[in-house]
Amino acid sequence: MLASYLTVAAMLFCIGLYGALVKRNAVVVLLCLELMLNAVNLNLVAFSKYGVVPSLTGQIFSLFTITVAAAEAAIGVAILIALFRMRGTVNVDEFDKMRR
Amino acid sequence: MDKLTQTAWLIPLFPLAAFLILTALGRSYRRVGVLIGIVGSFAAFLFSLFIVVDRLGANQVDYNYSIEWLAIGDYSLRIGFEITNLTTLMLAVVTLVSLLVQLYSAGYMKDDERITVFYGYVSLFTFSMLGLVLSDNLLSFYIFWELVGVCSFLLIGFWFTLPKARAAAKKAFIVTRVGDVGLLLAILLLFWYMPEHALDFTTIQSVFDGQSGAITNGITTLIALLLFVGAIGKSGQFPLHVWLPDAMEGPTPISALIHAATMVAAGVFLIARTFDIFQDSAAAMETIAYVGGFTAIFAATIALAQNDIKRILAYSTVSQLGYMMMALGLGSLTGGIFHLFTHAFFKALLFLGAGSIIHAVHTQNINEMGGLRSKMSVTTWTFAIGALALIGIPPFSGFWSKDLILSAAWETNPLLFGAGLAAAFLTALYMSRLFFLVFMGKPSAASMDAQESRAVMTLPLIVLAVLAAVSGFVETPWNGWLGTWLTDGSEEAHASGAVIAYSVAVGLLGIYIGWLAYGKRSISFAAWHERLPWLVRLLERGYYNDELYSAVIIKPLKLLGNVLLAFDTYVIGGIVRIAGAAVSTAGRAAARLQNGQAQTYSLAAAIGLVVLVAAIVGRRFLP
Amino acid sequence: MSILNDIPILSFILFSPLLGIVVLLALPHNRSNWMKKTVVVATLIPLVLSFWLYSEYDKQQDGSVFDEQQSWADIPLNKETQAAVPSEFKFTLQYELGVDGLSLPLLLLTTIVAAMASLAVIQVKKRWKAFFIWFLLLEIGILGVFLARDLFLFFILFEITLIAMYFLIGIWGYFNRERAANQFLIYNGIGSAIMLIAFVILVNTAGFRMDQIGDQVSFLYSGSYSNIFHNLADSGAWVNLAPEQMGTVNPFLMTHTMQWTLFILLLVAFGIKLPIFPFHTWMLKVHTEAPTAIVMVHSGLLLKMGAYGLLRFGLLLFPEQARAFAIPLAALGVINLLYGALLALRQQEFKLVLAYSSISHMGIVLLGLAAMNEIGLQGAVFQLVSHGLVSALLFLVVGSIYERTGTTDLRELGGLARSMPFVSGVLLTAGLASLGLPGLSGFIGEFLSLLGLFESQRWLSVAAAVGIILTAVYMLRAVLKITFGLQREDYTALKDARLIEAIPMIVLLAFIVLLGCFPSVLTDTTQLGIDGLLDQLLATRAGG
Repeated sequence: MLASYLTVAAMLFCIGLYGALVKRNAVVVLLCLELMLNAVNLNLVAFSKYGVVPSLTGQIFSLFTITVAAAEAAIGVAILIALFRMRGTVNVDEFDKMRR
Repeated sequence: MDKLTQTAWLIPLFPLAAFLILTALGRSYRRVGVLIGIVGSFAAFLFSLFIVVDRLGANQVDYNYSIEWLAIGDYSLRIGFEITNLTTLMLAVVTLVSLLVQLYSAGYMKDDERITVFYGYVSLFTFSMLGLVLSDNLLSFYIFWELVGVCSFLLIGFWFTLPKARAAAKKAFIVTRVGDVGLLLAILLLFWYMPEHALDFTTIQSVFDGQSGAITNGITTLIALLLFVGAIGKSGQFPLHVWLPDAMEGPTPISALIHAATMVAAGVFLIARTFDIFQDSAAAMETIAYVGGFTAIFAATIALAQNDIKRILAYSTVSQLGYMMMALGLGSLTGGIFHLFTHAFFKALLFLGAGSIIHAVHTQNINEMGGLRSKMSVTTWTFAIGALALIGIPPFSGFWSKDLILSAAWETNPLLFGAGLAAAFLTALYMSRLFFLVFMGKPSAASMDAQESRAVMTLPLIVLAVLAAVSGFVETPWNGWLGTWLTDGSEEAHASGAVIAYSVAVGLLGIYIGWLAYGKRSISFAAWHERLPWLVRLLERGYYNDELYSAVIIKPLKLLGNVLLAFDTYVIGGIVRIAGAAVSTAGRAAARLQNGQAQTYSLAAAIGLVVLVAAIVGRRFLP
Repeated sequence: MSILNDIPILSFILFSPLLGIVVLLALPHNRSNWMKKTVVVATLIPLVLSFWLYSEYDKQQDGSVFDEQQSWADIPLNKETQAAVPSEFKFTLQYELGVDGLSLPLLLLTTIVAAMASLAVIQVKKRWKAFFIWFLLLEIGILGVFLARDLFLFFILFEITLIAMYFLIGIWGYFNRERAANQFLIYNGIGSAIMLIAFVILVNTAGFRMDQIGDQVSFLYSGSYSNIFHNLADSGAWVNLAPEQMGTVNPFLMTHTMQWTLFILLLVAFGIKLPIFPFHTWMLKVHTEAPTAIVMVHSGLLLKMGAYGLLRFGLLLFPEQARAFAIPLAALGVINLLYGALLALRQQEFKLVLAYSSISHMGIVLLGLAAMNEIGLQGAVFQLVSHGLVSALLFLVVGSIYERTGTTDLRELGGLARSMPFVSGVLLTAGLASLGLPGLSGFIGEFLSLLGLFESQRWLSVAAAVGIILTAVYMLRAVLKITFGLQREDYTALKDARLIEAIPMIVLLAFIVLLGCFPSVLTDTTQLGIDGLLDQLLATRAGG
């Protein structure tokens, strides 16, 4: 049972990772980050039910993660809006200020 | 042993105190400054005189006292002082000449704005020389030896704005330094070979005198020769004599003090002090004798062709020092020291006389002088006494000391006897040339309004003239008092009529020829200038010694310096630059990876993670 | 016994400049006069304390009464322990200070030169506050290097000097300051990296110690110098036991190859600092570009850290290698001596003459070390102190001359003795001290080094003696060109030294004369503290 949950989570994670690495649009990148976090959440819940030592801690952790993810998304979008105001684009290719 | 001898270490402290006070006072207080200098050396002279009187009695025991200066583990280096008859003699000579020169300078240097500095330097010099004389071991001897060198350097370069004085001072210091290294190496050798690592003269004497075999013959010769290298440098022997004539750029009283009577005597004194080492090595003795004999003739020939009065006297000093070395090399300690003693007086006299002349006529070229006899009678008479003493005409002091040296050669080495006679002849020739050109004949333009110097300058001349006339009687063929006193009676006086006859004959012959050529002018050396111009020039330039050293030593050294400079800049600097360039190129290449795209960075991180996971997981499948 | 034994005097000395930093931070920016006073006072405190320490330093004991040791941080190591005994593995960072005959002279030198350099800061024209803070930090670093008895503490303090120097050169230097600072940092950074590698290896092997308290056994790794020293010296220690003797695998064994590697690493690390030919190029730029006070400290003290490190870590920890390496070491010394002298002869820039002269004089230190006997080592230590004083004095004079004439080029200078007799006199005396005139400090170091070397390597010693002539040649050439000769018109109105400049010159000169006339004030101190350290280096030589 555990294996199928983990497989789904792994696929979800890989899709998220792929999107985060290659997508140009910063909004999509943020969405993909959420996907990866959710993959982790899925793992946590799955282990809390089917793990070697089942415990409620996993589920509590996933609640934490969701909260943090929400906060992170809020901050991320705020930064994006600020960037969009400054540069007029959400294309991540054009954000290369770190180079200098 | 009485209190007087035990407190002899105070003697150098008087001039040292004078130096310190003068330095602290600065350039104001000119009269007081002069007085301080003179009082300092007068006190030292008085003290030395007491010691001389004290030691004149027979069978005085040597006194020495030393303290530990530096202790390292089991080794210790000591400093101390020693009173022997030899050091007593030197004490008297040094303090007396120094005192007279300081008196004289009060007149000679009267108008110099840095006269207090001058007195300070002279006091420091006197201190160093007295320290050297009193030293009881080679290490403290070396310390004062170097101090004497540096004082001489300061005094030669006293008129520092003159480029020639600067060059002469530098040359004097560096050339004598070459000799100093010889002395230093001799000390190093002695330190490691002597039993108990002792460096004091008493132990050296007992070790080498007793033929204890503690030190092998080869090493003894090596030590002796290295000591002699030191003496060559200081005493202006060939081939390190080149600094002495140039040193005449200093004020004339300094030439009298340093380059005639005291500092150059240090080399002779060194050999006399370590005479036991030399006596153990026949090879070293021969070397000294031949170098001395050669220098005596060599310098005398150069003196013949010089026109600068001080340079003539300088080369004459070199030549006379050659005599002293020859005497020591022939085994006659008394001969060397006796000549040192008499030479100190008559050469100081000649230099001070020359100073008096230069002061009056404002030139140093003897061809521009003439007829000074009528203008400056005191200077003339005292100079004449000095010249006769130098030539060696009885009964003046130089005769007796030269006679002793010649008799030593007469018995053992006819070749050196010949050299000695030849040098004596040349001495008579160049001194009579000097004397007749300067004092006789018609007054030249420069000497028309010459006047006798003031009493403060002539008084030292008279004192020295008296000494130059009579000081020879301490050791005559019939009365070997000095020799007995110096060597505890091991060297006896010996009379030889033939030697006296020869030496007086060549002296008179030289004077006669000189008189014919420059007094009566019936024969002329001008023909030489026409027929053998190269010979005259060769002598004038001192056998091109300076040029030779410049070509053989200085130029190659500079070239080597330039080569190394290029090596340093291009090879070593180049390697550093290449290494630097390599690093910065690598850095620039690596900087390309930083494109500012967060996605690229995270992609790289992801790839890295995959590789890491693959490596860890893959390890399981490996054998 | 005195009051000094009851207080942590070494820590007081080490951190007393911090007081100055605190006061400086509190002072407003425009109070430059107050800042100057603060920095001078802050350097005077360690000066007074270190002389107090010197006067109380009990010459009959080994001086260890003043050692201070504190555990700073314990880092537990996750190593498998044998279950039989309850045990733990720890890596301890220690704060350990100590003085002995090797470090006390250098400590005194540091406080003297730093105090005199603090008087020379008037030539600094901008950003006083930062300059003074870096300067005091530099002093802390140097003091710490000579006081530290723990490898890591040593390393940290060594690095502090590096950073402080970097900023001091880079911000307050002359025209090419940034380049000079970068070169300094990179070169010395490489040296430090090599030193760190060597230290890490040392801690991992010889730094091991076993403590047993009751049943609890703890295995400690630490950089404690005394521990490492005793481990390496003791043939029964684990470091020196072959696996056969242990019966098991010995992870602490230091093979001969490893010892040699460490020795060479340390030689290179400290050789860069010393500097040994051919690692000397970085130093030239520092000498020409750094401001007066800093170049005094650099030439007077920082170079000494290299020699001190080489002696303490290279020679004393690896006596066997040092003895085997004596001839190459002496040859390096002769090369340094002659190479530096010949190049100094060809320079037209007085600061470069002095830079090459430093190389030449450090050659003499190497010769003294290579002698491998007491006299030579004493000579080397003496030469370090002497050169520290002399070169500080020389650069002080150079600073004064530059301030007035705006140049230190020999071709443009001349005849300064007429308008500046005092400065010229000091310059001449310092030059004479540098060329080894008896009666001044330079002679003793030179003489003892040569005397020591002469016993073991006669020909190299003769070659070195030739170098002494060259020293006289280049020193006189440079000094006489500046002070003697005709004076340039525009130099006639130059003023002689002000009182604030004259004081450090006179003080330094006084020490130079004192050491020259009474060398035993230094040698006795050196001697009595180091007997135990040297025994090993010297004893085995007698054996074979």
